[in-house]
Amino acid sequence: MSVEVEVDESDLAEMVEQVWESYLDPEGVSPLIPTYDENQPSEVHSSVSITGSWSGHVVYASSRVAAQRAAAAFLAMELEEVSEEDMSDTLGELANIVGGNVKAMLPPGAQLSLPQVVLAPEASARFPNTERISGVYGMWEGEPVSISMWQSSTDNKEEGA
Amino acid sequence: MKILIADDSRVMRQIVVRTLRQAGFGDHDLVEAADGKEAFDMVTAEKPDLVISDWNMPQMTGIEVLRELRAAGNNVKFGFVTSESTPEMKSAAEGAGAAFFIVKPFTAERFDEVFAPILG
Repeated sequence: MSVEVEVDESDLAEMVEQVWESYLDPEGVSPLIPTYDENQPSEVHSSVSITGSWSGHVVYASSRVAAQRAAAAFLAMELEEVSEEDMSDTLGELANIVGGNVKAMLPPGAQLSLPQVVLAPEASARFPNTERISGVYGMWEGEPVSISMWQSSTDNKEEGA
Repeated sequence: MKILIADDSRVMRQIVVRTLRQAGFGDHDLVEAADGKEAFDMVTAEKPDLVISDWNMPQMTGIEVLRELRAAGNNVKFGFVTSESTPEMKSAAEGAGAAFFIVKPFTAERFDEVFAPILG
């Protein structure tokens, strides 16, 4: 059974801010600037699934350049040195960090999956029977980045019918 | 001291290594494991003094590694660096004998706070 989720956009924004402060922008010079545009484009994305007390997905999506920049920041290397594998690993870890922090705010009994990375736009892998319940959308050094939560709607079928 | 860093993400292992350096612990001998099973095997083979482990890993989770080590009579100092921090996980970690619990994202200050008493 899924419960009413108590993670709102300001919680997500706070988690994202911590990721930026710790890894992506420790100098505090290139924050994620909110666009509030849930339809902004992406070229790559990663996700973790949560099951149990709440069921759904946490998705990190960005442009390819933003993913390369994130990997360069994570690995303290130049953008040109970032490999495809570095980028995938970084995307997975970003979904894992935000997903883990989301899980910590859910009622006991939630399980977090290992991250899934897809080097294709988020729209190419919509999660069946889910609805987006929250998200943070922004530009990072001019490149789109979004973090969103998708709730499995299997428990809400009657309401939607 | 020899420190084993266990995480299935190579990127995260590098961040842990870098943060250890930033916190002033870069002079220790650092070895890495890419999943839980490898971590378990390396504790036996490499005999580290400290294990810094992710929680959610393929093959064996971090808590399974810790429990199996303790069941085998191995008392290596062991703790977690994880994005997940629920009260039940913290209590499971403590119950299994974990020495620390660090939540991702973390800072060099947090590493210093946790590891200074352990690594000196």
